[in-house]
Amino acid sequence: MLSSWRRWNKILHRDIGYVSVALIVVYGVSGLAINHIADWNPNYAVSKEFIHVEPFVSASRDSIIVEALEKLQLSEKPKNFFRPDPETAQLFFQNKTYSIDLPTGNVLVESTTRRPVLYQMNQLHVNAPKGIWTYIADLFALSMIFMGISGLFMLKGKTGLAGRGKWLVGVGALIPLLYWIFFSASF
Amino acid sequence: MKYSVVLLLVLTLLVTAGEQKKYGKPLTLKEKTLISTILAHPEKFAGKRVQVEGTIVGVCEKRGCWINIAGDKEFESLRFKVEDGVIVFPMEIKGHHVIAEGIVSVKKVSKEDLIKQGEQHAKEEGTTFDPSTVKGDRTIIQLNGEGAIVTE
Repeated sequence: MLSSWRRWNKILHRDIGYVSVALIVVYGVSGLAINHIADWNPNYAVSKEFIHVEPFVSASRDSIIVEALEKLQLSEKPKNFFRPDPETAQLFFQNKTYSIDLPTGNVLVESTTRRPVLYQMNQLHVNAPKGIWTYIADLFALSMIFMGISGLFMLKGKTGLAGRGKWLVGVGALIPLLYWIFFSASF
Repeated sequence: MKYSVVLLLVLTLLVTAGEQKKYGKPLTLKEKTLISTILAHPEKFAGKRVQVEGTIVGVCEKRGCWINIAGDKEFESLRFKVEDGVIVFPMEIKGHHVIAEGIVSVKKVSKEDLIKQGEQHAKEEGTTFDPSTVKGDRTIIQLNGEGAIVTE
């Protein structure tokens, strides 16, 4: 009876592990990427370039657009236009924004490009798609819980849970516990 | 013949209509409120659900957790803020049109907190922040976002 239980534990641990490998990689890689969000943008490569043109003389919306297209040598019309303040005009193109300081002619050109693969991984990690992905992610989370618990009972003897396993499990549990006790003020 | 004209009209509308994407909860209100009206009388709208529309002129670069919506009057915009992860706005929607619904939040923020926020924001965006630009306390008006429809 016991060996049968262990046999099924091994089979399920192994096969759920195979099915989960791809998602473990997705969540692991994007976890690393998102974890350092304060230091970089994990989703987009944003390039900022400064250029200089002659100061603007136009005052109205339409004439600023015409003057900007001419000075910036752009043939495509902007998708939209905005003036956040009297001295600034913004022209929006697909994935590119020109922010013009009208009195000086200083222009900030911001271009954004999605980081291939990583963007998609991150979107799945933060459940941006919602809908059915919510249930897939839930299922994956439950699988991980099962993998963790079933992993405890994979081996018997000195290397099993009754042997060195219990100490290593204890160390693993202490890491979040001690962090929570000593650094809970920063939570 | 009559049906052909109607069909052609419908097809034309479908082709010319911009691609639409929904974010968050479905919109519930029938009437829109002008951003200029909210900014002019924020105390009247504090805590109330409103629906606004305009051009998206800014997107949270790293988390997609807010968008800035241009007002109907020049030099005005309103931030539509969502909790991290509830809605994730992609940066590609900058310059697109949005109809957005949420609860108006009006908060008075102290000079010290504004400086802290500015420094934090600069750190996150990789830009610089000059604390001397903060002259005093400010009233921050924003929409606590619930749902939005973005049209290209």
